Amino acid sequence: MIKLISSELFKLRKRGLTWILLYIMIGVMVLINLITYAISNISLPNQPPGSGLDVQSIISLSSSIPFTLSMLASFEAVMAVILMASTVGNEYNWRTIRVALVSCEGRMKFLASKIISVIILVVIGMVISLVVGFIMSLITNSLAGNALNFDFITGTYLWNHFLQFWRTLFIIMPFILMGLLFAVVGRSAMPGIGIGIGILFLEPIITSLMQNAGGWVADIPKYLFSANVDAISALSNVSSSMFGGSSTQVTSVPQAFLVLGSYMVVFITMAFYLFKKRDVTV
Amino acid sequence: MNTEKTKKPISDTNKGNDVILRTRGLSKDFGKLRAVDNLNIEIRRGDVFGFLGPNGAGKSTTVGMILNLVSPTSGSVELFGRELTENPWAALRRIGAVIESPAFYPYLSGWDNLEALTRSIGNIPRSKITEVLQRVNLLDRAKDKYGHYSMGMKQRLGIASTLLPDPELIILDEPTNGLDPAGMKEIRDLIPQIAQENGAVMLCSHLLHEVEMVCTRVAIIKQGVTLANSSIKELTNQGQYLKIRVEERIKAKSILSIVPWIKSISEEKGYLVVGAPLDKAAQLNRTLAEQGVFASELVSENSSLENIFLQLTGGKSDD
Repeated sequence: MIKLISSELFKLRKRGLTWILLYIMIGVMVLINLITYAISNISLPNQPPGSGLDVQSIISLSSSIPFTLSMLASFEAVMAVILMASTVGNEYNWRTIRVALVSCEGRMKFLASKIISVIILVVIGMVISLVVGFIMSLITNSLAGNALNFDFITGTYLWNHFLQFWRTLFIIMPFILMGLLFAVVGRSAMPGIGIGIGILFLEPIITSLMQNAGGWVADIPKYLFSANVDAISALSNVSSSMFGGSSTQVTSVPQAFLVLGSYMVVFITMAFYLFKKRDVTV
Repeated sequence: MNTEKTKKPISDTNKGNDVILRTRGLSKDFGKLRAVDNLNIEIRRGDVFGFLGPNGAGKSTTVGMILNLVSPTSGSVELFGRELTENPWAALRRIGAVIESPAFYPYLSGWDNLEALTRSIGNIPRSKITEVLQRVNLLDRAKDKYGHYSMGMKQRLGIASTLLPDPELIILDEPTNGLDPAGMKEIRDLIPQIAQENGAVMLCSHLLHEVEMVCTRVAIIKQGVTLANSSIKELTNQGQYLKIRVEERIKAKSILSIVPWIKSISEEKGYLVVGAPLDKAAQLNRTLAEQGVFASELVSENSSLENIFLQLTGGKSDD
């Protein structure tokens, strides 16, 4: 298994797509921090307290990590879906799947090594994004003339954000595994990328419409992605509602973990089952 | 018109014990289509085994079943004396294969593609990459991206990849496809060497001339059914035929149709073409003369593998 992961990481490290996705991620982080800084310089007259974006608090140094994690929950998910679906799907597109399966210890280990390798890269991407976010916060705070005070870095702060880091990975995982499943089902990268990203962006809109519909329809979002993602994201100090997510929390945190965890189990089981069972005839 | 007297496949009479690959009643259905039907082949140590058939005959499906990529509907594959299903990886570890055409990661160089393979197979020193690339004359282009390779270079890299784990069975599908004549000769010379050093080579090819030159044994399949399975020598010997010019062709055909050693009778450009061993020419002439039919011309000819292939398969693809 270790040798398969080593081979997968070698292929991912040498692949241009991996680096392009990382540069896009860094670029997005830099851009969002600069835009937030620019907005913070615009005075918003007659704004009642508690409404709109509390931009001044976002650009504060202590908010940089939760702010970046909130951004990662959506942007990193897109990158991760592309990486996962293309890592599996392109094996079919390039017809390398047959050579790869003949040269490895089994289909299950092959697919598992792909998932583990992508998760390793996603975690690395998240760490790099956090570093970039923090550096950008240092820069924007310096530009704003704010004093650079690091007193907020306490054991509790670090522990809370350590937990939120893994929670963020947890809410990205269903989308990664959905990308995997549809790449396996479609024997190509495109179904995984298309369906994964499509649901990532369309589902919050559909969820919002359902919530407005009322009645039993309003309960459906409790069992979909975005409401549960919001519930877990809300555990950080910066809610995802700032970035267009649902402002109404419709589900509890334990239920959110349960629902998203169930999706993960279903996606990964189906992907493994199909990958093991089907003939490789391409 | 060809009058076939028997539908039985030409069978192998050279039995040996050192069997690397054996299939028993191997069959595969895709829905209602039977892609491979009751295939029984054996590849022994030292063999260069030609696996022939028109397009869509079931060659790639068979290779897929041997490599555990396609699950058989019925029958079994035995590799190195053990059922493939017992421990697939232990058997596949000892096989190198290029299936249909070489397939590698286009964004990696030739070297990196082989390195990715060595990492996933494990326990292969990096010096082996240099060795196999040198062997197929690709070392000087090893750092170029695979996506920029010509078809011939891709074929060479494919062959190099099969040599990486020191396999005992190498499966090559159209290995000279895209090569120039010099490259084809190089690969033709390399194949028997590989069989000698490693164990055996299974060669799937449409180039019958090439197969005749390098293979020791051959199986021919069509629509999944085995039409022939024997050594090249036995096959070409059984493909011997006699061309007879007679006045009364219908009478001659009816006389010859009951002769047990005659395999087929057909008509071609005023001749009767009789599938029979060359040493039976005098006997055939006497049989006709005894019935009052006299041959004005009797020519004996040896079939090439190509003729036998076309005769057995009807000269059409299965697409």
